[in-house]
Amino acid sequence: MSLQDFWDVFVLGVVLGSLYAVIAIGYTLVYGVLQLLNFAHSEVFMSGGFGGLIVLTVVVPAADPSGIQSAGYVLLGMLAGAALGGGVAYGLERVAYRPLRRRGAPRLVFLITAIGASFFIYNLAGKIFGRNASRMPSMYENKTLFTLFGAPINVTQALVVVSAVLMLILVDFVVNRTKLGSGIRAVAQDPEVASLMGVNIDKVVSRTFVLGGLMGGVAGFLYGTTTQVWYTMGFLPGITAFAAAVLGGIGNVRGAMLGGMVLGVVEAMTVEIWGDAWRYVGAFAVLVAVLMFRPTGILGERVARTA
Amino acid sequence: MLNRSIVKLAIPVAIGALALTACGSDDGDSNGGGGGGGGTTYKIAYQGPLSGDNVALGENMQNGIQLAINEANESGDYDFTVEYVATDDRGVEGQATAAAQLVIDDEDVIAAIGPAFSGPAEVAAPLYGEAGVLAVSSSATNPTLTEQGFPTFLRAVPNDFAQGAGMAQFLAAQDGVEKVILVDNVTPYGEGLAEVAEASLTELGLEVERSSVPVDTPDYSGAARTVVQSGADALVYAGYYQTAGPFAASLKDAGFDGIAVSGDGTNDMQFLSLAGAASEGWYLTCPCTDATADEATADFAERYQSAFNQPPGTYSAESYDVAQMIISAIAELGAEANRDSLYEAVATGSYEGLTKTFSFDENGEFTNDAIFMYQVQGDDIAYLGPIEELTGG
Repeated sequence: MSLQDFWDVFVLGVVLGSLYAVIAIGYTLVYGVLQLLNFAHSEVFMSGGFGGLIVLTVVVPAADPSGIQSAGYVLLGMLAGAALGGGVAYGLERVAYRPLRRRGAPRLVFLITAIGASFFIYNLAGKIFGRNASRMPSMYENKTLFTLFGAPINVTQALVVVSAVLMLILVDFVVNRTKLGSGIRAVAQDPEVASLMGVNIDKVVSRTFVLGGLMGGVAGFLYGTTTQVWYTMGFLPGITAFAAAVLGGIGNVRGAMLGGMVLGVVEAMTVEIWGDAWRYVGAFAVLVAVLMFRPTGILGERVARTA
Repeated sequence: MLNRSIVKLAIPVAIGALALTACGSDDGDSNGGGGGGGGTTYKIAYQGPLSGDNVALGENMQNGIQLAINEANESGDYDFTVEYVATDDRGVEGQATAAAQLVIDDEDVIAAIGPAFSGPAEVAAPLYGEAGVLAVSSSATNPTLTEQGFPTFLRAVPNDFAQGAGMAQFLAAQDGVEKVILVDNVTPYGEGLAEVAEASLTELGLEVERSSVPVDTPDYSGAARTVVQSGADALVYAGYYQTAGPFAASLKDAGFDGIAVSGDGTNDMQFLSLAGAASEGWYLTCPCTDATADEATADFAERYQSAFNQPPGTYSAESYDVAQMIISAIAELGAEANRDSLYEAVATGSYEGLTKTFSFDENGEFTNDAIFMYQVQGDDIAYLGPIEELTGG
């Protein structure tokens, strides 16, 4: 692999990795507060794709949009993705998980509920939107914007990476600097003491889901823009992003970001060197290798209690 | 740290759950049959993808079969009634056994049309064979299917040898094509088609490079890069429209400007809607003729349009023919008609359909190998004609 090849592939990896990072946030936040592996998060992601698709099918983008129009369509798609993603995540918490928490159900029940909710949501999406994939209406001309170390960057790639980085900064800010963030951290450390200190646990949990859902929804829209939108689109990115969260240290927001980026780049490199058939082998080999030497992930898990 | 006991439980639970989903949803809306006939009722089954990623291809065929059955029942020409039964294999191997078993267990089923895809056909054909149920596929094109001695399997379509050879013949006749990259989707269909195309291209003196992208790959940026880096003048994609869509879009983004050819798995309007402008100029082969462009099937195309409110798709007319072939064989057998006699009658007979003449060799292989070329032009898949004629060979 020449240096030029390396940069070209690195760019593809970073694009993929930024999406994984944003999805991984959803897994890691929820795990942080509830020690719950929310496998239905992949469906939150899928909903975001459909959210953007629906709005852009209604608001048909002009054939030859100006720069401002394009930005408007993209923003609209993102908002729709975020809204549906956040909405589904909120509904999921209210309908599927809160009743279980109220009853103090064992953790395994949560896990099975998560899997069941995931099946329910994607099959529902299949029923409503059909089993065929759809293409996101084109919102801009996907031309090369600039080159970075000789690697051409097109509009979609720039859009994905820039929005992902902005979202990651935003989440980091929310978790570390806001009242909601201290609530999230407090519940993650010790829910009982947090509630004694006046933290409304239900509210914090609900908002954590919504925060993860907003991110997941936008990621779904962006992912749909890079490929297409279909009812099982959440499965593979969801599993990979979950692995990214574990790789970075589950419960650790910055770890999820790092894990996503690492898996994305490793995946792209694997495809370049060994071909597409090995796509997930490289990424998961790295995951296993890291967990053998650092069982808590690269940055270490941040949950105070050992569940 | 992840709770060990949870993880220990979670993995089998997740796997079990995945296996369960695979058994799900059968939207079998069998609204065939009805009216006319009387007397005995024979069921004709169709096994194909009626849900899942390739449902559009499955429905094309289902509609063709239903139209044939409805017309037969309404014609009053027959003293029996034909009933339509659908069984959904989602076009994947894992579902094929269950789908075929449903058909076999129903003793009124006298014949099956399908399995539609090569992978499921390989799994289900032995089951149909054991039960003595005639299985005629109007679209499973993997060459090895007829080499395995399945007792009741017939292929009513030219196989991939014909399609791969047609692609090679076409590419060799184009100016400036010296190197071709073949990308398959790691299914029996894709690999079979790619292998045959590779052999034919090499024989015609072209340089060939092979690459594989598994069918569930969501991201085609790496694959598109491989194609551009290979320096090939032409690409052959051996896969289905579902993945050809994003692949075509990625190829355009990566700056590929060579000739792109794909087979009947991509020859569907869904490919255009998934790839958008990136599908422009793609050549698509098919052992199927264009029912709307061909004079012989123009009348069929109109009836299809009025029944389903859409023009016939890939293999609609061929599936219609196969259903008619089975019904006319039942009529000829009269009271003698059962699973065994029907197989014998169809396998050794010859039937003049709308699209072509159907007859089979001793392995159940189709005895007619014309391949037709199409091209994406604007918002449509234009019918260019038989490859033989296009290349002047």
